[in-house]
Amino acid sequence: MTGYVARKLILLVPLLLGITFITFLLTKALPGEPVYSMVGERASPETIDKLRKEIGSDKGTISQYAGYLNLILHGELGRSYYTNRKVSEEIMIKLPNTMKLAAGAMFIAVPVGILLGFLSAVRKNRFADRLISVLSIAGLSVPVFWSGLMLMLFFSLYLKWLPPSGTGDIRYMVLPAVTLALPSVSSFARITRTAVLETGLMPFVRTATAKGISKTRIYAVHIMKNALLPVVTVVGLDLGSYLNGAVLTETIFGWDGMGRFIMEGIIKRDYPVIMGCIITGTIVFVLINLVVDIAYSFIDPRVRINGTDR
Amino acid sequence: MTRTFIKRLSSILFCTGLISILFSCSPINRLDGYLHLRLAYNPTTLDPAFIVDVSGGSIAAKLFNGLVRLDNNLDITPDIAERWEVSDEGTLYVFHLKRGVVFSNGREVVSSDFSNSFKRILDPKGRSPNTWVFDKILGANAYMAGNADDITGIETPDSHTLKIRLEKPFSPFLHLLTMTAAYVVPHEVYSSSENDFGFHPVGTGPFVLERWRQNSELLLKKNKAYFGTEANIAGIVYRIIPEDMTALAEFEIGNIDAVNIPASEYSAYLGSPTWNRHIITGSALNTYYLGFNCSRPPFDNVSLRKAVAYSIDREKILEGFFEKRGTLAKGPVPDILRTWDQDIVYKYDPEAAGTILEEPGLQNITINFYITAEQEVADISEIIQYYLKKTGFNVKIKQLEWSAYKAALNNGEADMFWISWWADYPDAENFLFPLFHSSNHGAGGNRTRYTNSTADRMITSGQTELNAKKRANYYMTAEKIIIEELPLLPFWHKKEFLLIQPSLRAFVTFPVYTMDKGTEVAF
Repeated sequence: MTGYVARKLILLVPLLLGITFITFLLTKALPGEPVYSMVGERASPETIDKLRKEIGSDKGTISQYAGYLNLILHGELGRSYYTNRKVSEEIMIKLPNTMKLAAGAMFIAVPVGILLGFLSAVRKNRFADRLISVLSIAGLSVPVFWSGLMLMLFFSLYLKWLPPSGTGDIRYMVLPAVTLALPSVSSFARITRTAVLETGLMPFVRTATAKGISKTRIYAVHIMKNALLPVVTVVGLDLGSYLNGAVLTETIFGWDGMGRFIMEGIIKRDYPVIMGCIITGTIVFVLINLVVDIAYSFIDPRVRINGTDR
Repeated sequence: MTRTFIKRLSSILFCTGLISILFSCSPINRLDGYLHLRLAYNPTTLDPAFIVDVSGGSIAAKLFNGLVRLDNNLDITPDIAERWEVSDEGTLYVFHLKRGVVFSNGREVVSSDFSNSFKRILDPKGRSPNTWVFDKILGANAYMAGNADDITGIETPDSHTLKIRLEKPFSPFLHLLTMTAAYVVPHEVYSSSENDFGFHPVGTGPFVLERWRQNSELLLKKNKAYFGTEANIAGIVYRIIPEDMTALAEFEIGNIDAVNIPASEYSAYLGSPTWNRHIITGSALNTYYLGFNCSRPPFDNVSLRKAVAYSIDREKILEGFFEKRGTLAKGPVPDILRTWDQDIVYKYDPEAAGTILEEPGLQNITINFYITAEQEVADISEIIQYYLKKTGFNVKIKQLEWSAYKAALNNGEADMFWISWWADYPDAENFLFPLFHSSNHGAGGNRTRYTNSTADRMITSGQTELNAKKRANYYMTAEKIIIEELPLLPFWHKKEFLLIQPSLRAFVTFPVYTMDKGTEVAF
């Protein structure tokens, strides 16, 4: 397993090179120039030229990219064009907030989604199954900005239980975490249902039933454990996307996370911020996939992580 | 036995946790005695030398002071300067500073603080975008170019006297000194923390920055050592809430004391029996306009610009779509700043537009109409497109987000565009010079790339003329030429509409954000 993990981490280097290069080219291909937003109105042409030189936007794209790589090699992610603050320091503030929100969302989505999916499978084609199916489709279809605002309206304005926005303790986290969790609950429920039903048709389930093992034990131990593999994959994917920032949720609830940070960076063409967030996001995604791969081997001992016989 | 005990203990802990969370839950998030306001964006910096956004500027007004400021009648009034003299030829300003004005670090403000603050902005090694505020000072350009070690036009004969000599008279110079860039900062603080001063500012204002949680909130505390009128409140909390609907929810539960009403919610609040009594309005110094690129076809043709003007019923759009949230513009200069008569021209007249379009070469005109990504702008542009289509224009709308939009306009890519201009200081010059003088094409403000040597001369004559009546005459002539040649079609001067909490007293809106020191408001 150590070899596998090491190889994955080494592969991160060419992956980062490729992703940073593509992102750099794409951001440069976008129309717009950061200097015009930096100077406000009425700046003299001399001021604009001076700033262009200072941020290096007067050089060619490849030369700028080379400069950026040089910066990364020195362990830096650059400074924001606008605030002149270190991007790495900003990320160190925002990433923990995003992690908190992602953890909160997963804390809700994983048990609720799996439970609903399991219930739906056990009660196949009954009222509960149909109700859960309808709710799942609704959860996946309803846009986050709508569900977020509705939750805010109900729990903040009418019930006056929770603050509508802000970054802080658990009170502030509930509404954005629930909003973020809603689509995941739905997808986890649907995947769990399918996986449980498919596993239920396996020969070992028939064997267990013939052996006289109780239905509860068959579901809880034999079926559920085997049905978890696809769920873990989706949990990993969703967690990865949460950790890269939930732009809409963070904007609606004024949560100071990676999503808002990269969004503002894109709007203002703050290239160091965009690149810093992309690099962090890539690392986070690769690490989560690694954790998911390792989790497979614990859930299903047939899955071996030794780099060759997977 | 042990398992049962653990199960029970877990259940008790879970229930206790849940109950304590529920009981601790409250939507209220405010500090007693503090005014709570909303900002849509995190300010970029609070260093006056680098502030270019309204968020930063409005907070800086509470943290810093300049030599002079604007009073509620938009007149110049003393701030840190006790009095001043202007030489007859209008090039020498001598300011006498108040004694006992201290920075929040306890040190007294002296004249060299002002000279250092101004020089810092013009520093050739610096990156301040606000150099234009001080480039009228004698020797400023040589200093900025690195050809001089000092600015000859700034002198400090003693600790409380500051002399500023201009290269030539500039009548709105005192207005320039009311701007954010002209605030005084303590040299010893910013020089020891150049990158950090914008986040830990030290000023002389009625408030001091207590804490700034990036993208969340800023907390300003009353400065007890403030030399001016003491604030009636303990401080100000600025909550950073990007989403309008969230800000309204925060307002309705009482976490925000005053909030701008978004366009989409204006009629709802106006019709609300609970809130319509708590809407306040104020004039702002702005002009929203439809700009034409005068430097190339099709809009290098004055007649075509007039045909567009006659094609659009601005009054109807203002009353219908815009719900009278502004006043119809008579010209580019807002009515508050105009001291001469001006009638509304280019009233809706599709027949006049049709007659113009019968001229040879003016048929089947296609217009590339650039707009920003805001919903309100998109709606207005579709109405304009509808009117222009009726008179025979083919309008292609191109929607860009702000950064790309600004670059496209500055590079002269658009045929026609929708934009606004907000005043930095209350003088007609602040509209006429940046928007129409030929030296400001592109990023300088003249995005229509309009050039008229007579208008240029009138504007620059107005800048140097010290006699108010004569100056008004120059500006009037310039505005009349501009209205006749129509490089832009002014639509309206937008008003501000705010919802305020019933508990708030003496809350007013100001036409220019630098006027709001936060000392008048009370609970």
